[in-house]
Amino acid sequence: MRWNLAYRTLFHDRGKLIAGLVGVIFSVVLVNIQGGLFFGLIHKASMLVDRSNADIWIGHRGMHNVDFAHPIPERWQYVVAGIDGVDEVQPLRVEFGEMSLPGGGYENVVLVGIPETTDLGRAYKVVDGPDNPLDLNDSIIVDRCDSEKLFGPDVGELREVNGRRVRVAGKSNGILSFLVTPYVFTNYENAVELTGSDPSQTSYLLARVKSGADCGRICQQIKQLLPDVEAMTSDEYAKVSINFWMTRTGLGLSFGAATMLGLLVGLVMVGQTLYAMVLDRISEYATLRAIGLSERELMSILAFQSALVSSIGIAIGMVITVILKTLLSTPRATIEIPFVLYVGCGVLIFAICLFAAGLPYLRVRRIDPHTALQS
Amino acid sequence: MHQSTAVDNRVGSRAETVGIALQAKSIAKSYVIGGQSRPVLDGIDFHVDIGECVFLAGPSGSGKTTLLSILGLLLTSDSGELFLRDRRVDGLSEVERTMIRRERIGFVFQRFQLINGLTAEDNVSIPLTMDGVPMREARERAGALLSRMGLAEHRQALPSSMSPGQCQRVALARAVIGQPELILADEPTAALDGKSGKAVMELLRELTTEFSSSTVVVTHDPRIYDYADRICEMENGRFK
Repeated sequence: MRWNLAYRTLFHDRGKLIAGLVGVIFSVVLVNIQGGLFFGLIHKASMLVDRSNADIWIGHRGMHNVDFAHPIPERWQYVVAGIDGVDEVQPLRVEFGEMSLPGGGYENVVLVGIPETTDLGRAYKVVDGPDNPLDLNDSIIVDRCDSEKLFGPDVGELREVNGRRVRVAGKSNGILSFLVTPYVFTNYENAVELTGSDPSQTSYLLARVKSGADCGRICQQIKQLLPDVEAMTSDEYAKVSINFWMTRTGLGLSFGAATMLGLLVGLVMVGQTLYAMVLDRISEYATLRAIGLSERELMSILAFQSALVSSIGIAIGMVITVILKTLLSTPRATIEIPFVLYVGCGVLIFAICLFAAGLPYLRVRRIDPHTALQS
Repeated sequence: MHQSTAVDNRVGSRAETVGIALQAKSIAKSYVIGGQSRPVLDGIDFHVDIGECVFLAGPSGSGKTTLLSILGLLLTSDSGELFLRDRRVDGLSEVERTMIRRERIGFVFQRFQLINGLTAEDNVSIPLTMDGVPMREARERAGALLSRMGLAEHRQALPSSMSPGQCQRVALARAVIGQPELILADEPTAALDGKSGKAVMELLRELTTEFSSSTVVVTHDPRIYDYADRICEMENGRFK
C-alpha cells in the first residue's frame, strides 16, 4: 500500500515531479560533465607518459612532471639495459624551444625527440602525412589541435625551431600538452641539433620490460645502480605528473569546488521540491496519520518517493550526459568520464536525495493527526 | 455527571445494545492561549453503547471537536480516563494510539480528506492494506463496498472528478471498510447539500448497524438529528 500510495501521489503531481527530476538531472549532468572535463584536462598532464609504450620512466632524482625534465647522462641507458628483465631502453628528449610563425612572431613549443628505430616515446599517431614522417631530414610533427597557435602549418611547410629550419612532415591529432605550449615531435638527433644541448645528456630513459618481469623490482634495481636517478613505472609517473598540476595549481580544489557546487544546487533543488510536495500534502499526511499510518511508515513513503525521483533523474541524467559527451568532447576540451565516475556520481546523488528527504521529514514529524479534523 | 439525556431511537433500532463501546470519565483539556490556560473541556463524562449513534451538538467553541479528537486518540486529555470497550486507552504512547486508531476506529472528516492521487477504490483500500490485507484483495473488497454505495462507476475515479456527495460516500466507505468498533464523524454533512447529507447519513446508519459499530457524530446540522440515537448538547466545555 505504501508503495502504491508513494508512487501514485508522486506521479499525480507531475509539475512538482518534473521540478524534482530537473534538480536531479541537473546535478547528474553537471557532476559528470564537470568531472569528465577535469579528467580530460588533467590527463593531458600525463599524455606523453600514458602513450609512450614504455613500462618504466627513468629521469633525474626528484622528477615531478614529464614536461619539466632535468638532464641525465645518456650512457646510463646501458646500465639499465643490463638489468635482468629489461627488454629495451631508449633515450627521450623533452625540451623547450621556439617556433617561428608566418607573421614574424614566435611560439614556445615543447620539443620531443624520439629515436627513429623504436616506438618507445612515440605518443602520436600520424593522421596527415606519410606513415613515418620523422624518417625525413629536418622533419617535425605538429598536432592539428595546435593549428591556431602555430598559424596552421600545412604538411610540407617550412618553419624554424630555435632558428634552424625544419619541415612540417606530418600531423597528429589530440596530443596536447597540459601547458599552453604545443608538443612538436622530431627524431632524437634532430632534437639534439635543434636544442643545441649536450649530446651526452638526455631527458629520460624509457624502458620496456620483458613479459612477466616485475617492474617494481626493476625500478628498485635501477635506483640502486644509479643513485642519482628516479625510476617509476609509467602509471606511477603519470600520477606524479598529474599530481604536480593538481597540487601546484589548485586545479583539483577549484574543479572539486565547482562540482560540489553542482551537487549542492541539485541537493537544494531536490530538497526544496520534496519539501514543497510535502507542504502541499500536509493535510493528506495528517489524514493518513489520523487513520493509523505510523510516523515510520510515513517516513518510508517519503524515502521511497525520494528514491524514485532520484533513480529516474539519475537514469535520464546519465543518458543526457552520454549524449552531451558525444556531442561536445573534442581533443582540446576532452570530456573523459570513466565508468567509476558514472557509478560514483549515481551513488552519491542517490544518497544525497535520500538525505534531502530528511528536510521534509522534519516537517512530517511535526504533523499532528489532530489537524485532520481542523482542515 | 455532565451528560445529556438520550433521545431514543429516532431512526430504526440499534443492532446491539449490550455493553459499552466507549467510556470517558472526567475528561479535561485546556489550551494555552496568550500565555493563559483556557479550559476547553471541563470534566466531561461520556459513554457510547455498542451499536449506538450519538450526536455531539452545540455552538462553535463548545468543545465538540476537541472531545471527538480525544475520543479518537488524536489528542490526549490533561486528565480523566478513557476506555475503548474494556481497555483503558488514555496515557498510551503515540505508537500505541496510532495502532488503536488503525485497528479499532474509523474517521469521517468534514472535508472528506481523500488522497488526491488515489482512485476511489484505492482510497477505500487504505485501512485494509495498512492492516496487511494484500492490495488485490483490498481493492476487491473496496470495489464491492463502493458498488453497494452506488459508486460502481466511480471506482477508478480520482477525488477531483467526483462531486462532494460522492467524495463523502467514498470517505464513509474508507471509515467503515475495516469494520471498526467505533466511527467518529466530524461534521460529515457540512460540505453537502441537504439531499446528499441525508443520503450519507442513511448509509452511515445502515453500515454501522450492519457492522455493529458505535458512532459519534459532531454536527451543527439539525436536518440530520433524526439519525441519532442520542444527542448530547455541549456548551462551554460541558454537556448541557
